[in-house]
Amino acid sequence: MEIGLTQNSKKDQGGTAYNLGDFKILVVEDSPFIANLLGSCLMEMGVGSVIKAGNVRDAKDKILSNNAVASGQNIDMIILDWLMPDGTGGDVLKWIRNHKNTSIKFIPVVVCSAYTSTELVYESRDLGANEVMVKPVSAEKITQRMLHIIDHPRPYVQAPDFVGPDRRRRTLPFDGEDRRKNKPEVISES
Amino acid sequence: MSKSDVKIIHRKNKLKAKAGGEGGKSGYIDPNAVARGQASIEKQEENYADEVEIILTKIDSAWDDLKSELDDPKKEKQNLSTLHNYANNIKDIAKTFNYELMSYFGESLRDFCEKLNARNPVHQVIVKAHIDVMWAAFKTNIKGEGSKEAEELKVILNKAIEKHSKI
Repeated sequence: MEIGLTQNSKKDQGGTAYNLGDFKILVVEDSPFIANLLGSCLMEMGVGSVIKAGNVRDAKDKILSNNAVASGQNIDMIILDWLMPDGTGGDVLKWIRNHKNTSIKFIPVVVCSAYTSTELVYESRDLGANEVMVKPVSAEKITQRMLHIIDHPRPYVQAPDFVGPDRRRRTLPFDGEDRRKNKPEVISES
Repeated sequence: MSKSDVKIIHRKNKLKAKAGGEGGKSGYIDPNAVARGQASIEKQEENYADEVEIILTKIDSAWDDLKSELDDPKKEKQNLSTLHNYANNIKDIAKTFNYELMSYFGESLRDFCEKLNARNPVHQVIVKAHIDVMWAAFKTNIKGEGSKEAEELKVILNKAIEKHSKI
């Protein structure tokens, strides 16, 4: 069990069994073999629709064609490989988080990489990833990330040098002086 | 006080609503569905050998292309990137099905590609050594790690790297 992630054990505690039948997930992965593996796993887990993109350009096209107009058919989540032939997952992530269209800007993104370095985790986080999943993939790892995104969504922070989910996963008690000159503007969307 | 340029946006949790979740309660994904998902991943192992053979053949071609097109910087960069990506793909696929030795060689080649100068004869020997041991690991179908054969292949690769890096 990885620290901070949600266990799929709420059944015994009376939680709701999630129905993923209306979910649409985009898998961005340059290896067709891994993409099929992820896709079939998600479908078996009950995800209603899985679409695939094999490179950065294809990913942007798929996101635009599905989410340019807010509808019930938008992509709900992206599983994003890091290394691709025409760029990195970071390029896609940066493009998403800086997009003007909120149906694109706020799509939850799980970075899925074979690199296990802390640098990549920090880079993904600083570019606005919601979760990072280290390959090899497993149904349990996917489940943990999906549940965390569904059950514990973090507010998005929009600052001059960062757009993405709040990088603080916990709110620690603080009784010192708040040295920020300008308090952030808090927006609750309906 | 001037207006802040930092916004904290609390979005409505549409995903939870879409999944049928209620209020602040956490939910779960049907464990049987998760087990089916895992089974579908494991079933793909049937295709492991075919897939790895295809990628190893592509690695051979990418390496040949890289060596033969060194005069064209654009093609050189593209071929190097292709080799790097195939090495990374092998690493991922092998790791998924617990072919640790193949994964080790894939990762080693991928990392070496990040500092590879294809004009350097020493580097050429090291890449060739990687490709040879990957084919050997594939043909002997070594799974897991720690077997005698696995250790021997790792020693062969590491000796090649060590010997040629000193030149």
